[in-house]
Amino acid sequence: MIDADAIRQKFRERGFIADEAFATALQIALALEKPLLVEGPAGVGKTESAKVLAEALGTRLIRLQCYEGLDAMAALYEWNYPRQMLHARLSESDGSTLAEREAHMFSEPFLLKRPLLDAITQERSPVLLVDEVDRADEAFEAFLLEVLAEWQVTIPELGTIRARHKPHVVVTSNRTRELSDALRRRCLFVWLPYPTREQEIEILRARVPGLSERLAEQIAQMMQVLRGLPLQKAPGVAESLDWALALMSLHRDRLDARIVEQTLGCVLKVHEDAAIVQAHRDTLTPILAGTPVRAEAGGYALDNDFGAGSVSGPRR
Amino acid sequence: MYPFGTLPDNLVAFGGFLRERHAFNIGPREIHDAARAIEIVDLRDERRVRNALRPIFSGTLREATLFDSAFTEFFFPGPPGVPQANLPHPRREADPDVDGAERTIERAAAVDEPSAEDRPRADGDPIAPLETREADAAASAITLRSSYSPLDADASESPELPRADDEWRDAARSFVRRLHLGLTRRWRPSAKGRRFDLRRTLRASLQTGGEALAPRWLKRPRRTPRVVFLIDGSRSMSEYAPTALQLAVAIAASTQRVEVFTFSTALRRVTADVRRAAAGESRRLQRLHHAWAGGTSIGACLDDFLKRFGDRMVGRDAVVMIASDGLDVGAPEMLRDAMRDLHRRSAGVVWLNPLLETSGYEPTARGMRAAKPYISTFASVADAPSLARLSRALRLRV
Repeated sequence: MIDADAIRQKFRERGFIADEAFATALQIALALEKPLLVEGPAGVGKTESAKVLAEALGTRLIRLQCYEGLDAMAALYEWNYPRQMLHARLSESDGSTLAEREAHMFSEPFLLKRPLLDAITQERSPVLLVDEVDRADEAFEAFLLEVLAEWQVTIPELGTIRARHKPHVVVTSNRTRELSDALRRRCLFVWLPYPTREQEIEILRARVPGLSERLAEQIAQMMQVLRGLPLQKAPGVAESLDWALALMSLHRDRLDARIVEQTLGCVLKVHEDAAIVQAHRDTLTPILAGTPVRAEAGGYALDNDFGAGSVSGPRR
Repeated sequence: MYPFGTLPDNLVAFGGFLRERHAFNIGPREIHDAARAIEIVDLRDERRVRNALRPIFSGTLREATLFDSAFTEFFFPGPPGVPQANLPHPRREADPDVDGAERTIERAAAVDEPSAEDRPRADGDPIAPLETREADAAASAITLRSSYSPLDADASESPELPRADDEWRDAARSFVRRLHLGLTRRWRPSAKGRRFDLRRTLRASLQTGGEALAPRWLKRPRRTPRVVFLIDGSRSMSEYAPTALQLAVAIAASTQRVEVFTFSTALRRVTADVRRAAAGESRRLQRLHHAWAGGTSIGACLDDFLKRFGDRMVGRDAVVMIASDGLDVGAPEMLRDAMRDLHRRSAGVVWLNPLLETSGYEPTARGMRAAKPYISTFASVADAPSLARLSRALRLRV
């Protein structure tokens, strides 16, 4: 049995800084053998968390990337028709009976396993990542629910395949559409917020070795401020890592107004956002000057932070 | 610490508390999971218990955000004699995403501080006088006549949602059917299609001894549109609001993919009420906020809508309908930006303006002028036949 502290430790070793709430959610999901639905703003490491989980458990990661138009066949299995056809032609004259040939042609070697079938036929419980489930349509969601509930798949020609080892499931969603209540109830839910300033510094340190303390601090502060602005695409952790790498490759050890202007493309991905940041230049100046600032808790993103550091309510 | 005797009893009671007080979606399965989770974590560590129960009991961001204060409220109630309402609820106000807003309507009525409600309004900007009145003489006539607005009345006088009669339903059904948005990305088997289906053809060839005699085809089905209906509930719209609500109910009766919001100075999601009304239940709508205080801040409300619901509801398959007279007291730039965003992200924006019925009306009001370039179809719907006319005149991006 792996507990939350061990999870945090293992994640930290692999460069993923998980807060206590997230680690506990993972622990509970593993213990109860339930899927974990991870929601959160773009670029906070939802997908990465599943990858790291697979590494930490020493098991395989099987990824089902959802997209509009994804159907059961692409997610489950398909018969390898070209191969079957070839086989049929070649075995026409080898004297086997029709029944034998048919049985052979609808057997495992001719089956193309897609992620879901792959996940339930593993020898060890893999981590099944259902990525961006909100991109698939509602019909697929219903189908997914069925598989997640039963862990068995019926192939007419082969019979029912039941999972010997239930996969650990991580479902991620970017909230481009409302997920059904049924899916939500089937899963444990955890919201992965933007990291706090301290967490972000830790992440930068873990993922970008050789980054100067001061630069890490400045980047983390900048991110806190940027996420508080009413941007169309608020920068995530992926963006701050990109930025750190970009600054490293430019051999910078501190931020100044010029370099920020030159490299802001690593962080802001929409043209209009650059104008908004320009308009709020004053709030950024103290960071560049090196004086620490507290991020104002404005904007929608920061309100959502209910990480381990901020469990609220009076305690006694 | 525990209000009730044993641990399981407490979990059941806590589940019930979350369900009834905060409208969480909790059943026996969640209670069962919670009991198992409690065995795993260290019970002496309150934070761990919170962290373990939160993923189980909550299913949405709203619920996860509410969870902590509810936990405190239940397991650590104030000293006897102190009314519960006086307990601090630090998370409640900061609830940024009213995910199941339909569920929170009751809650919002209870926590009705102006500070929270006024958030979307452009700060520091005093309500400007309605200078647009001169431009729209017709509008002011309507405004003067409507000394009483059903939507603005006290909670005790909340308006009843109209039922959709057959005529409206038929019109709405054909309206929804006529929302052509092109084809989906998904392939479906079909008798006549554009794409050869090798898999099904070969499967069918088994019947004919491996010779593929009957080709099978795939086609792309049509996109199902989603309708997002935003209804202006301000005073100047009071005469038209019942018609707009009627239209909303009729559309909700013909498609599941509909979201309805009302706005005046603040935005409110009323989808659940409208759906129930469409199902034949009689529903009263909670009064709209502070609509008496001033005019509509359309721009701020649309902006608020985009921020809170835009990602989930406005996409290539969404048709955004706005019923408003366009008398905006906010900054026109804000309305323009919000409209541009709506236009860019949706399949089309339909603006229903009751003033169009008035002969000689020109959309010259500040707000209307700002919004005009981003409107795909500008029309007015007064009754079922005019809805049918609208469905023929629709211009959508495919």
